[in-house]
Amino acid sequence: MALEPVFGIADWVIGIFQTLAIIVLAPLMTGVMRKVKASSQKRVGSSIFQPYYDLLKLMRKDEVISDQSSWIFRFTPWVVFAATATAALFIPAFVSFTPFSIAGDLLLVVGLFGLARFFTMLAGLDVASAFGGLGSSREMMMSALIEPALFITIFAISLTYGGTNVSTIVSSAVDATIASSAGIITPTLIFASISFFIVLMAETGRIPFDNPATHLELTMVHEAMVLEYSGRSLALLEWAQSIKMAILLTLLVNIFAPWGIVSAGQPQQLGSAILIAPLILAGKMLIVAILIAHIETRIAKWRLFRIPDLLAMAMSSSMIGVIFFYL
Amino acid sequence: MIENLLVAVILTYIMGGLSALLSKSSKFTIYVSFIASLAASILTVAISISVLILGFEGQDALRVSYLQNATPVGSVIDFMLDDKAAFFTLVVGLVSSAVSIYSIGYAKGYLGKRNVSALGFLFNIFILSMILVVLSNNAFAFLVFWELMSLTSFFLVIYEHEKESNVKSGLIYLIMTHLGTAFIIGSFLTVYAQSGDLSFDSFRQSSASIPPLMKGVVFVLAFIGFGTKAGIVPLHIWLPKAHPSAPSNVSALMSAVMLKVAIYGLVRTIFDFSGIGPSQDFTWWGILMFAAGSVSSLIGVLYAVVEHDIKRALAFHSIENIGIIFIGLGISVIFYSFNLMPLSMLALAASMYHTMNHAIFKGLLFMGAGSVISRIHIRDIERMGGLIKKMPWTALFFLIGAISIAGFPPFNGFISEWLTMQALLSSYQIPSVPVQIIIAFGSLVLALTLGVAAATFVKLFGISFLSKGRSDHVNEAKEVPRMMLLGKGILASLCIILGIFPAAGINLIASAFDFPSSMQLATPFDALSIQNENNPAAPNFASLSIPVAIVLLGSMGLAVFGFARVIGGKQKKTVYGTWDCGFGGLTERMEYTATSLSQPIRSVFKALYKPQYHVQKDFHFNSNQYLPKSIKVESATRDVFEERLYSPTVHAAIGILDRIRRIQTGKVNAYILYIMITLLILLVIVRVFS
Amino acid sequence: MDFPQFDILAVSSALLLVTTFGVVVRQGFLDWLSAYRYQAIALSAVTAIIAYVTGIWEIYIAAALTLAIKAIIIPKVLTFVTQKIKLEVKIEENPYVSLRLSVLISAVLVALSYFLVLEIPIKSDPVVAAYLPLSISLFLIGLFIMVIRRMALNQVVGLLIIENGLFLFATALTHGTSLIIEIGIFVDILVGVIISAILLVRISHTFDTLDIGKLESLKDS
Repeated sequence: MALEPVFGIADWVIGIFQTLAIIVLAPLMTGVMRKVKASSQKRVGSSIFQPYYDLLKLMRKDEVISDQSSWIFRFTPWVVFAATATAALFIPAFVSFTPFSIAGDLLLVVGLFGLARFFTMLAGLDVASAFGGLGSSREMMMSALIEPALFITIFAISLTYGGTNVSTIVSSAVDATIASSAGIITPTLIFASISFFIVLMAETGRIPFDNPATHLELTMVHEAMVLEYSGRSLALLEWAQSIKMAILLTLLVNIFAPWGIVSAGQPQQLGSAILIAPLILAGKMLIVAILIAHIETRIAKWRLFRIPDLLAMAMSSSMIGVIFFYL
Repeated sequence: MIENLLVAVILTYIMGGLSALLSKSSKFTIYVSFIASLAASILTVAISISVLILGFEGQDALRVSYLQNATPVGSVIDFMLDDKAAFFTLVVGLVSSAVSIYSIGYAKGYLGKRNVSALGFLFNIFILSMILVVLSNNAFAFLVFWELMSLTSFFLVIYEHEKESNVKSGLIYLIMTHLGTAFIIGSFLTVYAQSGDLSFDSFRQSSASIPPLMKGVVFVLAFIGFGTKAGIVPLHIWLPKAHPSAPSNVSALMSAVMLKVAIYGLVRTIFDFSGIGPSQDFTWWGILMFAAGSVSSLIGVLYAVVEHDIKRALAFHSIENIGIIFIGLGISVIFYSFNLMPLSMLALAASMYHTMNHAIFKGLLFMGAGSVISRIHIRDIERMGGLIKKMPWTALFFLIGAISIAGFPPFNGFISEWLTMQALLSSYQIPSVPVQIIIAFGSLVLALTLGVAAATFVKLFGISFLSKGRSDHVNEAKEVPRMMLLGKGILASLCIILGIFPAAGINLIASAFDFPSSMQLATPFDALSIQNENNPAAPNFASLSIPVAIVLLGSMGLAVFGFARVIGGKQKKTVYGTWDCGFGGLTERMEYTATSLSQPIRSVFKALYKPQYHVQKDFHFNSNQYLPKSIKVESATRDVFEERLYSPTVHAAIGILDRIRRIQTGKVNAYILYIMITLLILLVIVRVFS
Repeated sequence: MDFPQFDILAVSSALLLVTTFGVVVRQGFLDWLSAYRYQAIALSAVTAIIAYVTGIWEIYIAAALTLAIKAIIIPKVLTFVTQKIKLEVKIEENPYVSLRLSVLISAVLVALSYFLVLEIPIKSDPVVAAYLPLSISLFLIGLFIMVIRRMALNQVVGLLIIENGLFLFATALTHGTSLIIEIGIFVDILVGVIISAILLVRISHTFDTLDIGKLESLKDS
């Protein structure tokens, strides 16, 4: 079915602006989380803008490449970044739609994340070191189990909001809050939010799934796969990780806490709201980021073979959400 | 005109096969037989596409029939090429052409060692029989060509017959396929009982008047029969034995194409012969297929991920993908039974698209595996590694196949997976809550399957092609000849094309299955879009336009490249050894092995695999157990189905039969006595009770 | 022409039965071969009677053929082919069923066949009424002979009697099948006999025995 997009220039600008916001704000989230962890451990910690400085530094450094590796190793950082950043295009951040939604929906976002992860796992194997294989094998298991949890959560969300087109989801969510402020607190969404939160922690490699700050073979998963990278490639990979975190945070707050998003159906708000909405978004994301950081300091990384239990909890939670919807 | 082309196709295959048979095994044989099959396959593709796009010169279908001649041969030559058949012949032709090109190079490896004429002959007849099965228009012809297909593939499976395991696999395959054929015959006969005539046209006409119980019987028999051939769990045990035993080009054909012919049979029987209609009596059909598909896909992929024989892993993967196709078919039937026609067509499109995709990328993967094996002569990926540097093009094509089969954008696997998921997500429109919940559970299984599938291909591609070689075998590797690369390249480019321009595939399917023109995409850049009329505020349920997404992906890549260049300036890359924690001397023994790579997954699914570990330690001194000299660990997973289902059944059957065997006394008199007694008893019974 | 006809039919049936019993009681090869000759003659006589009664002249040809092939050619062929076989092989030493019992059982079989035919409405046609049960009893007796003989060679006669019974059945019911088929059947039986005889010769040469009890050890497992 042909769908002629009837979007004006303003819509495209907003779309690109939203994407850039996510991409640019991403390292800030990482920085905030590190700062919160540091202060709860009674340390001063680095400034919240440190990730930006790190990225700049890494971009300028030369790289060392393993002699065992092949073109996959060199290609992966670009693929990972491009895929993750493209995924950001389809997410409406502070306006309830984005014109890119006609090209891709939530499933495409998940697919792009999967593509990135696939190449990362291959890169881990490419360098012929035990660390890489370690990371890849653990990541294989976790990603295999994250998929069903994620899909059933998407199922629950699409049931409630009528689609996997992210614009549709977010605008339905916004309309629901306009109608009644608490209209979105349904059992389905509560369960879906729990499961989405667990999946978020798993996908971005937070404690208890993975420790992003460690380089011990006992505990690292994602870090093990990118251990060999240096210089610009490492910068791209780190940035892509933060972008993924930012995307998932945006989705979490926009779907489950859509207050403050500018609704496309009310163009008169467009003018002033354009300036306030990003701040509201940043605020919500910060709240969740701080929450995540607190959780990370409170609990320890779980043993690898307990993680399926946690993911099974996520799966059953979203499954219950789906069943609740039908009943 | 097209009838003549069809006849030309058939004749070309026959000529190719016969000339291969009659000529001595030599290079000439290879060229003759495979060029013949290539030509015929390309012609098939051309016929199919022209039929699908241009229609049938005013008729509803193309028929070539000598049925009225009433000779035995005539009753077999009864072909009808309609839309659905054209779609499947397209799939067959596409993969066959690529595999034929590949075979020209591959068969050269057999020269001097084996009789290549037999290979060429059987190859041609195999493809011909598959096409004729799809084209058959009466039950007798169908079964004749089905049997021909099974027999030729059996001989191809045991082509390397000096390995006893191959012969055993071939025998198991033969038995299972005949079991399936028996059920198919049963299904056809049930419809025949209603229609009184063996031709499919009469089946179609009388299908509505079959009594409801019989319809169910027709479906179940066809499901079991075609399911055996397609490889549904628990009827699948022959697949992981037979597909790896055959030569790789044949494995490609069997996995990619023969399984689809079974799907064709099932689709025909369900939608044409069984009298299915939009009533809820038929929901259980869809649920059965859906459940069987989910279970198959999960079990198939779980066994694939722990397998380190590369061909066996690919064979298990075929089981998984057939499961996904069945999931799509099942949902389609469920929607149909609830009269949700657009959704039913969506699910059917998903299923058929996946059929085409799987044929393409499975053929590609098997050809890749075959190239690797033909160079280094081992199938165990634990002993491979580092092949990407020695066989770069094979590696690239295998990678494309791996990304496609794992279902990642931008290749074709993602499209069919997206369509299937959308069909599952749309199940909320079904008015029955138990069905919805079943579908929800099924989608959980599907998602798990897809996750594990990606893991499998990380393992298969990563361990075989990346990192360092793990044994000396890989030193012999070098790139394969151009013909083999060309065959793979064709399929790889199809993966890419169908991924980037799904419009091509979708329009073909839409015209094949008579979808309304609103379901077709007008230009390649249009989005696949699912609209929801019930929600006027946000009518777009989901929308996907891969060409645009590719453009976005590409531009994002360029943007970041420019950005990095601007910020970072030009950079130097130094090549150095892999980080070894300062210990030095990284050997290939320190790399991750395939078994260890899949070990976490094996642990998670312990209940299925029941892994066994044998640890054997040797000590320097038996009194001091802290200084081991060597430790040997052997781990094995068990095949649950063989152990729990097939072995006990076979043993019980053999036990019973042994007891019955006592009546074989070896004396002729005894046998005649049996006959006489039976005869007398029958005569008396007839006399007394008539 | 009722009374004389009925007589002829009954008498000829009785004669045929007598000769058949003659085969049953003979246990040696040469003995039953000559008894079989008589049976063949009786059979051809019966066939001629059918031809006379029904008036179809082709059946006369069938009778003549029966006489020629079954009474003359087959015994000659059998004697010729089995010349080389040792004599012991041809004599039935230890039959499975004793002579008295076999005769009794044959009689029971005859009675059974009459019982089986009782309900069939064939009274209209006297030929069929007379010969149908007879043919079935021939068939059953032939089968029985095959069961009780110990020496493989002697089972051949059972086969021949079965064939006689079937021939009679066909002729009586259909009043003579087409000649071509008759000839075909004759050729078939001739060739069958030759082949089985040759095979038995070879078996006797290879194993030195035709005793079924000893040949049983050939069964595998």
